[in-house]
Amino acid sequence: MLYFTLASKAYSRNLQYRGAHMIHNIASAVFGFLYACIWIGLGADYTLGEYGTQGMVSYIAFTQAALWVSSFVTNGLGIPQSVRTGHISLDLMRPVHLFTHLMAREWGQIAYQFLYKSIPIYVVYYFAFSLTFPSQLSFLVYAGLSLAGAAYMSICINYLIGASALWTTESSWLYWGNHAMINLLAGFFIPVEWLPEWLQNIAWLSPYPYLLYVPTRFYLGLGSVSALWGTLFWCVLLTAVCLLVTGVLRRKVEVQGG
Amino acid sequence: MNHKAWISLYGLLIRTSIRSRMQYKFNFILASFLAALIQISEFLMVAIVLHKFGAIQGWSMYEIGYLFAVMILSKTLYRTLADEVHHLEKYLVTGDLDQLLTRPMPVLLALMPQNFRIMLGEVLQGGFLLIWSLGGMMAAGQTGWEAIPQSLYIIVTGSIILFSIGLATATLGFWTTRISELQNITEDAAGTAVRYPLTLYPKWMSTLLLTLLPVGFVNYVPSLYILRGELGPWVFAAAAAAAGISLALSLRFWKYGITKYQSAGS
Amino acid sequence: MMIHMKNIRKEFKTPVVREGRFSGLRTLFSREYITKEAVRGISFEIDRGEFVGYIGPNGAGKSTTIKMLSGILHPTSGEVSIGGLNPHVDRRKVVKGLGVVFGQRSQLWWDLPVKDSYDILAKMYSVDDIDKRRRLGQLSELLDLQAFWDTPVRKLSLGQRMRSDLAAAMLHDPEILFLDEPTIGLDVNAKRSIREFLARLNQEFGKTILLTTHDMDDIEQLCSRVMVINHGAVTYDGSIPSLRETIGLPTLITVTYRGTFQVPAASDLAQLPISIISAEGSTIKVTANRREINTLEVMKKLGEWGELDDIEMKDPDFEEIIHKVY
Repeated sequence: MLYFTLASKAYSRNLQYRGAHMIHNIASAVFGFLYACIWIGLGADYTLGEYGTQGMVSYIAFTQAALWVSSFVTNGLGIPQSVRTGHISLDLMRPVHLFTHLMAREWGQIAYQFLYKSIPIYVVYYFAFSLTFPSQLSFLVYAGLSLAGAAYMSICINYLIGASALWTTESSWLYWGNHAMINLLAGFFIPVEWLPEWLQNIAWLSPYPYLLYVPTRFYLGLGSVSALWGTLFWCVLLTAVCLLVTGVLRRKVEVQGG
Repeated sequence: MNHKAWISLYGLLIRTSIRSRMQYKFNFILASFLAALIQISEFLMVAIVLHKFGAIQGWSMYEIGYLFAVMILSKTLYRTLADEVHHLEKYLVTGDLDQLLTRPMPVLLALMPQNFRIMLGEVLQGGFLLIWSLGGMMAAGQTGWEAIPQSLYIIVTGSIILFSIGLATATLGFWTTRISELQNITEDAAGTAVRYPLTLYPKWMSTLLLTLLPVGFVNYVPSLYILRGELGPWVFAAAAAAAGISLALSLRFWKYGITKYQSAGS
Repeated sequence: MMIHMKNIRKEFKTPVVREGRFSGLRTLFSREYITKEAVRGISFEIDRGEFVGYIGPNGAGKSTTIKMLSGILHPTSGEVSIGGLNPHVDRRKVVKGLGVVFGQRSQLWWDLPVKDSYDILAKMYSVDDIDKRRRLGQLSELLDLQAFWDTPVRKLSLGQRMRSDLAAAMLHDPEILFLDEPTIGLDVNAKRSIREFLARLNQEFGKTILLTTHDMDDIEQLCSRVMVINHGAVTYDGSIPSLRETIGLPTLITVTYRGTFQVPAASDLAQLPISIISAEGSTIKVTANRREINTLEVMKKLGEWGELDDIEMKDPDFEEIIHKVY
């Protein structure tokens, strides 16, 4: 099975760097620790809505671990680089659809990051902040489903960012812009309902809250199942756009002659 | 080679770098503005929280903005002048350090002028935050005009502290070759931590940030005096002392580390 | 004595790479090392004005030797001196009189025009403006740098880059040049122009040059002396003709007879230092080792077999000689 091979190669390519990644995990864990400390500090002076201090700490712990699944995917799925090297025409020549090809590879990457980054980071927080594991199995399932959807959306978004590299040499700005949006709109540090109202409105018109905020709410045993429909909606819409873009991209490469 | 000659050499590098960059003026300026906008999102994220709750441990939005600004500008000054120290890993992996060892000057002084980075985006971002936060506090009568020279002073001492930490971390590369993961902890995470008041953190962590990784002296400790009149004017001497001590220690460590250099194969 | 090396040894320590579970982490914290001896007891001396070729297979210790001579690596034991100074104790003084070129990497500033790199280097080596202008004028004429004077280094072709790098190494007018594979990856024209330049540096300006290369034409056309290194030890040190002789590869002789010829009986032939490779029509190919029999005698013997029409002698290829030495 080709797609499985692609994914498992991407997974095992990472295995050789496990040692370095574990050190990197310490740094990642420190970042989440800082954010949690800020909320603990705020919690000393204010009541933190329906979450409470311990709830916000769990919130941060989960988003920090989830980042590795739903946000930190390969920049533009590696398309900008293959455009620079001219590898892209080779990729388009293969008897596999570019979108599914790159997606399979990225799933391998995400699987690795889930096992070697998300889980170790979560385990550290579990003991450092004495987190409680959600008691309701159903919400854990919802959290898992919405997180898988978030990973899928993230792959689509990065595919689109990568595709833009064919038209502009400045596509890395889109990558950074995407990160800025995750910072502000995805509920990375602050729950979406605490954003100023106009920003909340913008956020809910975008897929960003579904990347972190929605899975985290499920994890905390909050939120309603209907949010999964939102995840599904964005997955379908982004898939359609990606397929459309691939067609345009193919024509563009053919015209340019690679 | 004496110091004057080295400075004139460095000046030459800066002039030539700017000249070659200015061939694509429009692109460069646009990119810098975009970088500033995108990076400011990190502050916005915190500003939104402050907007909702009012203060973090009694620190207002302006005060936190000031901590951010001093950190960004100190780091920018360090990275502008000594970016290659941060990128020593590249020299170790490719063996390009060999080339620098054939120069008739100390290796560190040969390394620094390898590249001069123009960080207009960070200057815009940090400068905007500094002007905005100091302006706000001055208008409210919290600080006076003397805060401006004081801020510039701590940006310089801060950049020396950050440089020293960067140099010590890079030196570890003579043993480990890979240093980017360590830099993530000693440079990035530590620098992010002191964008917020140190009272937020557990005792062991704030102690760490004032001793082994003395980033607390970059912005937090001096700000206690500049913004809030706590401690005393001696904080400026303390900042200078922290800068001097960390620089001396990391230079000694560097000199020791370089004797352990094993050129990359071939 | 310009360059002096005595009983130089160099060991490298590399951490033992672990396998299996958590291998990455365990390697990182492991204190076990494998010691590899890259250079084992090399001694040589090079006089002012010599042009020495330093050859050997990959990993033989060539680059390590050059790095120890130029003060980059510290020898584990032994003595090095350059112009009477130790390159590790007086590193800065020694390197002022050295020009070093590593063919695989450039010492120029990637994003800056070629001429800007020279300005910076001139400052580094405290070359004043008058000297700088004079030398650059000379170098740019010898190496034909004018065409890409204002081009950023990253846009240069490999040959242009190499020429610019050579000029950079000569800017402070060093007495000694260390060249580590300066012709690697270059086309025939680029190689020729670099060889011409190096020959002039040596002959007209009296520079002492130590050159490592895999291109045997470099050695044959440039060097008055060749050193062969293998497994970290010098296995040959002398001139090229005597290297040929030492190894004594057989000379290939092709003889054409007028009409027929008579090869002696196998038992008689076995006593001669001549062996027959092929015989076809009136042409015969034989090999003879000239250390065992001189040319005149070979001709005489061959003349006894029939009436000679044409003789062609071919000395062994230098490439083959080197293969034999390795």
